Amino acid sequence: MTDILLMVFAAIAILGAAATAIQKNPYDKLISLGMLFAGVIPFVVAGGYLDVAISLALIVPITTIILLQAVWRCRL
Amino acid sequence: MTPEFLLGLGILIIGVIAAAFPDPKTYLNRLINLEISGFGLLLVMLSYNETLALLTFIAVTAITTFVLVRVLERRAIN
Amino acid sequence: MIVESICAIVALYASIRILAEKNTLRKLPFLNVLNFAITGLIALILPHPMGIAAAAAYFVGSTLESNAIASTFAKQSEVADD
Repeated sequence: MTDILLMVFAAIAILGAAATAIQKNPYDKLISLGMLFAGVIPFVVAGGYLDVAISLALIVPITTIILLQAVWRCRL
Repeated sequence: MTPEFLLGLGILIIGVIAAAFPDPKTYLNRLINLEISGFGLLLVMLSYNETLALLTFIAVTAITTFVLVRVLERRAIN
Repeated sequence: MIVESICAIVALYASIRILAEKNTLRKLPFLNVLNFAITGLIALILPHPMGIAAAAAYFVGSTLESNAIASTFAKQSEVADD
C-alpha cells in the first residue's frame, strides 16, 4: 500500500471518529460510525488478515442493526 | 511504531473521551461512543500479529453490544 | 495506479460531503458512494484470491448497514407524522 493511500484512509478514520463524537442525532452518529469502519478495514486488509477482514465485514453491520433497534426503542 | 498503532491510539483516545463525557448525557450516546474506542483498540491489536486474539475481540465486542442493548431497552421501558 | 487514485479521490469527496451535509437523508447516498470506493480499493490493494472474497463480504455488509439505517429513519419519520 502506498503512502498517499494510507494517509487517505487515516484521514477518513480520524474524521469519522471525530464526527461520531461530535454529532447529536443518533442516526448521524451511526452514519459517521459507518465512515469510521470504512476507514479502518483497509488497514486490516493491508496487514494480510483476510479472515479477520471477512468476519469484521459480516459482524459490524449486525452490531449496527442491533444499535438501530436500541435507537428505535429509545425514541421520545 | 507501525502506522496502525499510532492511528489506533488516536482513535482510542477520542473514543474514551467521548464515552466518558457524552454531549447529550444519555445511555444510548454512551453506548454508540463506546464503539469508537472498540475500533481504536482493534487497530492497536492489529500491530501485534495475533489472528486468534483479533477474531475473539470482534466476536466479544458484538456480544457485549447485544447484551448492553437488552439491558438498555429494559431500562427504557420502566 | 490511476484506478487507485480515482477510487481514493472519490472516497475523499464522499467523506467530505458526508461531513458537510446537514440533512440526515442526504448523507446516506454519499455513505453508499464511500462504501463502493472502499470496496474497489480493498480489491485493488492486495493481489490475492481471498481479497475478492473480502471485498464481496464488505460490499454485502456495508450495503445492508446503510439500507438498515435508511429504513429505520423512514419508519421513524412515518410514525412522527401521525
